[in-house]
Amino acid sequence: MSNNSNEESDRWEELQVTRLLFGLSPEEQSEFDELARQPARMTDASLEKAVASLDMAWTDHPSEHLPEHLKQAILARAEQELASKRAGSVERPSRSEDPQSNASRREASQYWPWLVSAACLAFALFSWWSSTVRDVPQPDLAQRRAQLLAADNDHLHVDWSSGPTPVEGASGDVVWSNRQQQGYMRFRGLPINKPTEEQYQLWIFDKNQSEATPIDGGVFNISSTGETIVPIDAKLKVEQPYLFAVTIEKPGGVVVSSRERLPLLAEVK
Amino acid sequence: MENSLLQRIAAGDSTATTACIEKYGGLVWSLARRLSPTTTDAEDAVQEIFVDIWRNAERYRAELSEEATFVAMLARRRLIDRLRKHRRELDSQPIDEQALQYPSPPQTPQTEIAEEASRATACMEGLRSDERNVLELSIYHGLPQTRISERTGIPLGTVKTHARRGLVKLRDCMQLRALRPRKGAEAR
Repeated sequence: MSNNSNEESDRWEELQVTRLLFGLSPEEQSEFDELARQPARMTDASLEKAVASLDMAWTDHPSEHLPEHLKQAILARAEQELASKRAGSVERPSRSEDPQSNASRREASQYWPWLVSAACLAFALFSWWSSTVRDVPQPDLAQRRAQLLAADNDHLHVDWSSGPTPVEGASGDVVWSNRQQQGYMRFRGLPINKPTEEQYQLWIFDKNQSEATPIDGGVFNISSTGETIVPIDAKLKVEQPYLFAVTIEKPGGVVVSSRERLPLLAEVK
Repeated sequence: MENSLLQRIAAGDSTATTACIEKYGGLVWSLARRLSPTTTDAEDAVQEIFVDIWRNAERYRAELSEEATFVAMLARRRLIDRLRKHRRELDSQPIDEQALQYPSPPQTPQTEIAEEASRATACMEGLRSDERNVLELSIYHGLPQTRISERTGIPLGTVKTHARRGLVKLRDCMQLRALRPRKGAEAR
């Protein structure tokens, strides 16, 4: 190995260490980028791992906790981020590094005009269909839910727990803003319903309402056992909610529920 | 085998993001407070770090590092970027003075820390004291090279040499220890 290449290797290592410990100046960054472009020149992840390991060792994190307001802000940003990720994954199927997939992409490209037309038609049909059935266009709802969380610091946020007729594996949460009179339910593992046979219905128990006549929170369908977000459609003003309950009812829902099938409850504590 | 939190986040599982904040919030917050000039700045940094975590979750490979190490790596990248930017914009002296207000890092590993962290603290003890000192002032206190030089009286070029040699030795020692068969806790 020549002296020149030894010097370059040393400099490359020095720049990597400087980058990890102190950050690079603009000049150093240019030099780093230039060296990084050279064939077979790779950053050494084990150096970064060593620094991160010391960071962990020297951090007393079991006794440090995120402030609650910061945690809520991060949760809201996480919702937005995941929503855009989901939207992105719908728009852009995951890319593969496999050269074969490049060939198949080239073949597929000749059909794009047809595919675009078909997608437009499908989207138009879906828009019409979703306006008649209150199923869920996910990315948009996740963003709206996140915006609600970020906009109202006084929102309620409660987890679902099993009701008198539980469904195994069902979970999720409810968020509700009294100020905005808006809220969202999130479910995972709630069974898919056949809308022609039965539908889910939300009930909101409010301190200003008789326990016998909770507020109707809307009828909804579940079309996936994955994560589903459903907006709350309260028929009356909700002022002091203390319990959210999901019942299973006949299609279209009921005015007064017999509460015979009540899989989920979320109690505000 | 159960998916890690980061793998679940990469798959779009939002319950995993909540669990991730619960699990690593303390680590990220602690790092951010130590390496940020103000609490407000630390709060902004923590939010940016978690966004980095969501965006990079799919790049996590369990066979290459522990999940906590990956989180700490992302956190440090963001914090160093921010620190560097602050130093360009402001007189760095107040930032550095504040950084030095933190007591020295614990010399004995906490009982519950991850294996890689435990290995790192054990390997630090094998470094020369000036190498250890430079790494401590840079990694733990976040001081720039010039301030380390002023504070220790070591010429700037030597600070750079100690930083590089110390870190390379630390890495080599950690790699060696990782190859040894485990006997309960990390041998010291």
